[in-house]
Amino acid sequence: MKKFLALLLSMILALSLAACGGGSGQPSGGGQSAEPQPSGGEPSGGEPSGSEAKTVKVGLICIGDENDQGYTYNFIRGKEAATEALAAKGINVDWAVKWNIGEDSGCEDANIDLADEGCDLIINNSFGFEPFMLKVAPDYPEIEFIACTNQASWGDSLENTHNAFANIYEGRYLAGVVAGMKLQQMIDEGTISADQAVIGYVGAFSFAEVISGFTSYFLGARSVCPSVTMKVQFVGSWSDATEEANAASALADMGCVMISQHSDNTTPATTAEAKGVYHTGYNNDMISVAPGASLIGTRIDWAPYFEYAIEAVANGESFDQDWCHGMDMNAVVMTDLNEAIAAPGTAEKLAEVEEQLRSGKLQVFDTSTFTIDGKALESAFALDTDGDFTPDSEEAVFDGAFHESYFQSAPYFALSIDGIEWLNSAFG
Amino acid sequence: MNREKKIPLIRLSKRDGMESWKVWCIRAGSVLFALALGALVMGLAGANPVSAYGVMISGALGKKSAIRQTVKIAVPLLGCALAIAPCFKMRFWNIGAEGQITAGAIAASYFALFWAGRLPSPVLLTVMGLAGALAGGLWALIPAFFKARWNTNETLFTLMMNYIVIGVVRWLQGGPWEGRKGSQIIPQFDEAACLPRVLGVHCGWIIVLVLVVFMHVYMNHTKHGYEIAVIGDSVNTARYAGMNVGRVMMRTMFLSGAISGIVGFIVASGANNTLYDGVAGGVGFTSITVAWLSQLNAFAMVGISVLLAVLSKGAETLQTRMAVPTSISDIITGILLFCMLGCEFFINYKLIFRGAGKKEARHG
Repeated sequence: MKKFLALLLSMILALSLAACGGGSGQPSGGGQSAEPQPSGGEPSGGEPSGSEAKTVKVGLICIGDENDQGYTYNFIRGKEAATEALAAKGINVDWAVKWNIGEDSGCEDANIDLADEGCDLIINNSFGFEPFMLKVAPDYPEIEFIACTNQASWGDSLENTHNAFANIYEGRYLAGVVAGMKLQQMIDEGTISADQAVIGYVGAFSFAEVISGFTSYFLGARSVCPSVTMKVQFVGSWSDATEEANAASALADMGCVMISQHSDNTTPATTAEAKGVYHTGYNNDMISVAPGASLIGTRIDWAPYFEYAIEAVANGESFDQDWCHGMDMNAVVMTDLNEAIAAPGTAEKLAEVEEQLRSGKLQVFDTSTFTIDGKALESAFALDTDGDFTPDSEEAVFDGAFHESYFQSAPYFALSIDGIEWLNSAFG
Repeated sequence: MNREKKIPLIRLSKRDGMESWKVWCIRAGSVLFALALGALVMGLAGANPVSAYGVMISGALGKKSAIRQTVKIAVPLLGCALAIAPCFKMRFWNIGAEGQITAGAIAASYFALFWAGRLPSPVLLTVMGLAGALAGGLWALIPAFFKARWNTNETLFTLMMNYIVIGVVRWLQGGPWEGRKGSQIIPQFDEAACLPRVLGVHCGWIIVLVLVVFMHVYMNHTKHGYEIAVIGDSVNTARYAGMNVGRVMMRTMFLSGAISGIVGFIVASGANNTLYDGVAGGVGFTSITVAWLSQLNAFAMVGISVLLAVLSKGAETLQTRMAVPTSISDIITGILLFCMLGCEFFINYKLIFRGAGKKEARHG
């Protein structure tokens, strides 16, 4: 018995020591973690500029974390740039971020959590978050909710829900121009014959966003390299590094000399490099991982939208329920051009086409540039109003072009055009 | 001297009949020890451990909405722990609860998606629950049948079954049940197919509390429960007593799978209002810990599952308020579980050090 008590006593002693140890570690650690908040709030609060500083508490729910170097990382870059830009306007943003949230009721909980934490604005970064956000939004009419990349807000009869996307097809088109110029250069130099100009595209799913993306990319390439064709391989995952590499590798083996992708990882770029073919990227600058293959990349810059939405909330103004901009507001940006391997004159051509896109002189989905089963596209609907997931209203084809992201921010071009071969469409 | 050397530094010996107050002291001590270790981890991550624990508790239980979420997390854990308890009592290692939950969710979702307009809500929900139970039960029956008939290894069998059924859900998500083309998302259920809320949480919590009482009675006061206990202690004794071991195994696994299936129905209909491949979300595995920690006592499971739910909800809040990564709280949960399970070792065995051995001998 005595022994047991002695043991108990020594345990307690050890425990209290451990607790003290933890406690003594805390002032330095706690100080570090506690400091950023006041320091973030004070300087601008004490700014002599005269204009009163406003603080907005913004929640951000992410499907991954910034280590993915792709989708979520791109949001975090947008978040940081917007914070900086807003600080210059005297608006402080107090962020509460939730990482690695699943597309299930955990997302609903995350929204409730952030609402209870006092957020004025809550941003959901993944497509599949929207239905769960919509369960929470009606209970907090004073809080604004944003579902990025999704599409319910124009018709959900709620005042406080918002959708946002960017005209990424513009960036895809430009990346396609870069790829097409490289292919044409290879044809002109005799490295490949005209009919060997084949692009391989690694797609996630046969989802409108992906189809719209590779079609615009293909049209960009064909605008400068008329003989180009494309093969698309779907991998059945938004992010699966191994499968993406396998798909890229298979495409290269089938004779594709240019690889592009709509998936989250850099493995298609590294595979292209290993296979000695070229590559254009998405979400991220991939030149560092594949300096001999990666020509250029394109990505959505979320900063302009975040800045716009947060500023509106700070000023108590309402903002668009369905926002979609592209080059016009720098919501779509190109990563650096790899001048060392790009075809000569690419930078100039890029600037020229970009200018045409900005001015509206050039339409990406110009119906005179593509056919479907040999026929020109004359009619396609944009919106699904009855919930059966098939577009049934709003004619998207007018003025000689299919108007993508015009009636709603989320892409709705889901047609299979001539010149693009779908190797598998099992995922749709 | 020579003999002395042969004795290892530490020896173990089985301990029996420790006073219960001592047992509880050891258990409480292990929790405190785990919390102290956890504090150390939090300190390393740059958070003040005291306020971090405070945030976790207030985040999980501080507000009505927080309590509701905590309950929502605890419900499937508790339900699933109840499901596997009889199997474990029988020493049938069912680690396929994950798949049984998913099977139940698929069956329930079928009715939710295709029968919503045709049946009134209470009937529809009952049908969904029954379908979930049946599907989960049948899914569990397969490995039980093989075990009873050919004595296959149930651990591997039940585990592999999980991946099959999760694969089925993936196929449904991208194929026949997909909503918007290419989205891989099954549409949200009609309102009639969603469990109604009671006190702000879907009424699954009432169902599992009823199951707690049922399971307690079943395990302790029925012939079935007795048979399970006997088989768990010794299969040969059970045979000698004339029990049909294979039959009891299959019956128990069916029951276990059926309860898991009901949990699947609760999660799909009550929490997510849709079906997706993560519907079980690891509950089938975490609930093994719940069942084990509560030593298969149905009432203790309530407490343990709430404790785990508090930890997990608290960890979420910790992340938002103090920017501590959730992985840190996973580490803390892991430490806590490890210490709680580990302390049972010290309750059942004692360590004898080489030097102390002599003293013991003198006494004995």
